Amino acid sequence: MTQTMAAIDAVWKVLAIGLLLGAGLPALFSLGVRQLAVASEPGANAPLRRTLAWLAFSIVGGAVALGIAGIVAHGLGYKLFF
Amino acid sequence: MTPELVLLVLAVVTALAFDFTNGFHDTANAMATSIATKALTPKVAVALCAVLNLIGAFLSVEVALTVTNAVIRIQNPDGSPRTELLTDGGRPLLMILLAGLIGAIVWNLFTWLRGLPSSSSHAMFGGLIGATIAGLGVNGVKWAGEGAKLDGVVGKIILPGLASPLIAVLVATVGTWLVFRIARGVPEKVMDKGFRWGQVGTASLVSLAHGANDAQKTMGVITLVLIASGHWVDTHAIPLWVKVACAGAIATGTWLGGWRIIRTMGKGLVEISSPQGMAAEASSAAVILSSSQLGFALSTTHVATGSILGSGLGRRAEVRWSIAGRMGLAWLITLPCAGLVGAVMWWIGTSLGPWLGPIAIFMILVVLSLWMWLHSRIKPIGHHNVNDDWEPEDRSTTVPVPQELVR
Repeated sequence: MTQTMAAIDAVWKVLAIGLLLGAGLPALFSLGVRQLAVASEPGANAPLRRTLAWLAFSIVGGAVALGIAGIVAHGLGYKLFF
Repeated sequence: MTPELVLLVLAVVTALAFDFTNGFHDTANAMATSIATKALTPKVAVALCAVLNLIGAFLSVEVALTVTNAVIRIQNPDGSPRTELLTDGGRPLLMILLAGLIGAIVWNLFTWLRGLPSSSSHAMFGGLIGATIAGLGVNGVKWAGEGAKLDGVVGKIILPGLASPLIAVLVATVGTWLVFRIARGVPEKVMDKGFRWGQVGTASLVSLAHGANDAQKTMGVITLVLIASGHWVDTHAIPLWVKVACAGAIATGTWLGGWRIIRTMGKGLVEISSPQGMAAEASSAAVILSSSQLGFALSTTHVATGSILGSGLGRRAEVRWSIAGRMGLAWLITLPCAGLVGAVMWWIGTSLGPWLGPIAIFMILVVLSLWMWLHSRIKPIGHHNVNDDWEPEDRSTTVPVPQELVR
């Protein structure tokens, strides 16, 4: 029974991080793609839209870089986040 | 030449062969979506995945040495082999590892032949469990962990095996739905072009995580073999040549690409567009990385398949449930099937004596592998046809006879 409880404890954490990063980052990326598409429409504030788009892309890129850093740190024996 | 040396060499070679099939089997986890959406050409995709697996393999050292402790009792908590298994140059322990790995390879190749993504870790643990039951009895297996630490067959395999695909399906469904909801009205061409970048980035992350997670298992097994046979003593380090050989084996396997599985995952399960691909890989990456931090031992394959399925659900696209069902069945039987082969190999290997036993089961492995490879040539799948349209199964179709059999 304690094994099941331990699994549930891990599951909700993985699910929470999964939803935050695994679903949140593609959504943010999508927001960026949308801003880029809107920027090329007539009458749009192109520089602003483009800035917003690249801001979104950089956050996603930064998160991927953090993920790589996480793998490296984990491999070197450091424990992150938890 | 002594029988001890022969067994040692066969065990190391078999472990490297398993590592190779591990890479081969799992290329699809990271790259199936990028290949299906043509974000990367098939050859570039497998090459990128191989390089990242290679790098990932070198980054992984931490828990490798106690790898078998999760499910069987052949090692002490510090990673050293149990002394009662060290008679005759470690023969009892080496036979369990050799037989178990053969079980794992046979099952990996069989599922590859059928184009089914199944978990290489489950195959390995299944094979080891089977060989352990045969060699040490049911008590040699750690069925459940004690207390609140997830361990044993229940805590390290069954519970994560049930939970991880569901988590991945949910995350990818939500991600895909959000992506399409937010980008509503954006022309499809713009969407595809933008998301290809995101897709390649997230797929690369999955490749790297795979190398870091999976290569270390074989490194741990080979080091255990060396310790048991008296060729290595340090339980805190892995010999450099083992690290290099394992990294090379998994990367070579990845680079050759299990095209049959890539095809099932990229084309068979759902039709994937770039935005779905990115949502699926981001979900896989997030779930794999967060659970490896938590010590929640899930299978990359289960997560990747769940994510791809979820990306279809999130878009309300057609999901080929018959294929999903067959995969689910393969997951359920992976552990017992690999275990059965592992147990049978142990029996054959130990009953034929110290010289012939290990050689005989190794030859069985070679013959079975060759047989399955020849079968794969009947309907070959490679980078040239991996992206062909998925045809509904028609069992009446005549199978073309391969050229080498005609001659």
